[in-house]
Amino acid sequence: MRKPNKPFYFNTSEHLLRIGRQKATNLAELWQALQTCPDDSIFQHTFRTLQEHHFIRQGFSNDFAHWAISACNEPVLAEQLASVDVREYTDIEGLRRRMVGIVDEFLQQHPRSGDKTAHEPFFFCASDLVVLPTPFAPDTVSGFLEGLRKVSVHSIHHHFIEARLRLHSMTNDFSQWLEEEVGLERPAQSIERIDIYTNTMEGVRQQIANIVEQNLN
Amino acid sequence: MKFTTEKSTTEKYSSEEQRSSASPQTAGSQSEIDARVSAGPETAAAETAEREVRDAEVSEGAARPAPPTGSGSDTSGGQSRRLPASVLTPPPPAPSPHLDDYEKIIGQAQLDDLRFLARDLKGKSIKMVNSTAVGGGVAEMLNRLVPLLSELEVPTHWDVITGGNDFFEVTKAFHNALHGTRYELTKAAQEIFLMYNEQNRERLQFAEDLIVIHDPQPVGLIRSHDRTPANWVWRCHIDLSNPDEQVWEFLRPFVEQFDAAIFSSQSFARQLPIPQYLFYPCIDPLSEKNKDLPDAVVQRICDDFGIDRSRPIVTQVSRFDRLKDPVGVVQAYKLAKKYVDCQLVLAGGGASDDPEGAAVLQEVKDVAGNDPDIIILDLPPWCALEINAIQRASTIVVQKSLKEGFGLTVTEALWKGKPTIAGAVGGIPNQVIHKLTGVLVHSVEGCAFQIRYLLTHPDFAKRIGTAGREHVKENFLMTTNVKRWLLLFRILERAKSRRGARRP
Repeated sequence: MRKPNKPFYFNTSEHLLRIGRQKATNLAELWQALQTCPDDSIFQHTFRTLQEHHFIRQGFSNDFAHWAISACNEPVLAEQLASVDVREYTDIEGLRRRMVGIVDEFLQQHPRSGDKTAHEPFFFCASDLVVLPTPFAPDTVSGFLEGLRKVSVHSIHHHFIEARLRLHSMTNDFSQWLEEEVGLERPAQSIERIDIYTNTMEGVRQQIANIVEQNLN
Repeated sequence: MKFTTEKSTTEKYSSEEQRSSASPQTAGSQSEIDARVSAGPETAAAETAEREVRDAEVSEGAARPAPPTGSGSDTSGGQSRRLPASVLTPPPPAPSPHLDDYEKIIGQAQLDDLRFLARDLKGKSIKMVNSTAVGGGVAEMLNRLVPLLSELEVPTHWDVITGGNDFFEVTKAFHNALHGTRYELTKAAQEIFLMYNEQNRERLQFAEDLIVIHDPQPVGLIRSHDRTPANWVWRCHIDLSNPDEQVWEFLRPFVEQFDAAIFSSQSFARQLPIPQYLFYPCIDPLSEKNKDLPDAVVQRICDDFGIDRSRPIVTQVSRFDRLKDPVGVVQAYKLAKKYVDCQLVLAGGGASDDPEGAAVLQEVKDVAGNDPDIIILDLPPWCALEINAIQRASTIVVQKSLKEGFGLTVTEALWKGKPTIAGAVGGIPNQVIHKLTGVLVHSVEGCAFQIRYLLTHPDFAKRIGTAGREHVKENFLMTTNVKRWLLLFRILERAKSRRGARRP
């Protein structure tokens, strides 16, 4: 472990939900809208919705999956959409292609499902984003731990999940800093493996803290 | 509260004034009454009362329009008896909370986020304009929001438009028409609407940086937009998904001149050429309706109403209104009772002053029969604390609405960590995510099954109750509302400076 050259600046991001112009009343319309909606709509209904529901340990993955089961009663499609891990994507376009592909394949196999009217429409939304600083900019690992414990879960989401879109690489801000600045390569990898879909964001925070703490002692 | 009259007709007051002891502190439906018993603004009482009724419709569950009759009753097993003396008169207003009071609820980090958000807005100010100072969901929300924004050093002023009975008759008709009631829009109605908007426009000053117009009544004030450098936002609290086309087409040209519009649900919005944002209605966790209560208080109130806490309690809190389907709730309870022991509490108001409410109450009593485990409470509108205690004592909360705006009684139940069964209508699915933060139902039979299931699966009930509370904490608290306003203000300021930079 070495002394970092750069502090870790804990930031957070706050989002304001904007109602989009597109809506889908059946799966065929969803498929079409998925291809044409703005990138920030894809972000909203995947990355961002995960943040909104950070307190749920199981059963909520993204809005498309949720709508497929709750409004369209299509459990197979819902499971397939829910299995998409946003952390496998470093850009929105890749994530969009995956979602479109899943719906496309499902509709080819179940053509009658396409125009079955959903119980309620899917309204495409988007987020306007504001990134904010927090009071924490530690330049030691113990300071990092303190910041980690005190920032809001939105900050954890910002650094741990949204970071991929910023960094365009399969890592997160915490792992990157711990590896590059502190030389904690294995803990950085362990942090990267934390499962966000079976944990609340508080649980994620705790696991990161545990991993770092073990390496402090 | 010190109200000043601007050019004799406009009530204007600032957040600082609202801190004073006689302010219309808001606490669920408590606020209406507090406002009435305290020194109100200098408007004709009849006019104000009428407007309260109108505005109260804006936010279902947040405030009931019933006047303080104090003639509520408690019916158990078909036998009416008088309510305890403690609920017959309105309590004194509670003091308005400060930002730091929310720290124990949302945590220091979230408060820090609010302060950081506000920091870049220092020196800028907001004006809110609506059509009523007291009573109703909008006034109730503004009563809390305005002081909190000002405490964050974003001075926020609140003006109330005025008008004669003819104006408010027209706007009441517009309100109903926007909700889908058929309406013949006459030339005379349009002229009345425009005349009063013009009068208010001439009286009001718009020196702030963000002007927020609430609902359709003052929408004509937008004609002052070009006289000011401010961003103008229309905050629509009503459901525009199925409006009377004549009325909507009359209002649309005004709405389209705003810089942005805000709706309470995605499904309430219209196709507009301006950005539309989603602000969920919210509850105040420190209000009488929602604050934590010592168990002794919960016990006392249950004792007063004859509610047995040693047995499961299923509760619906709502007006005696057919759209809340209280009869369906009794039927669901009766179906469930074949399998599980429980009591049913139906706590609401609106039956004392409203002929339809009285008829619905009678229907409920008829369906209830002489079952001693059905407790029907027709409460006066100031019983926020009692409602709070009953919700907290409940094992399950039901909101089996057939039609709903947002459904703040659902938010209240979720906030108290109660496993909640709710009709899948209006804004309820935004709150109740089926099997995750509550359960959604579509029929009496579905409701009965979920009562049985939740009473016999306490672990699942606890899990959805806990997630429901977190969902409210994240999305439907007053502090989240403050955050949304700050975010919107910053986003609009950013857009304005970009527009300015592009100009030659």
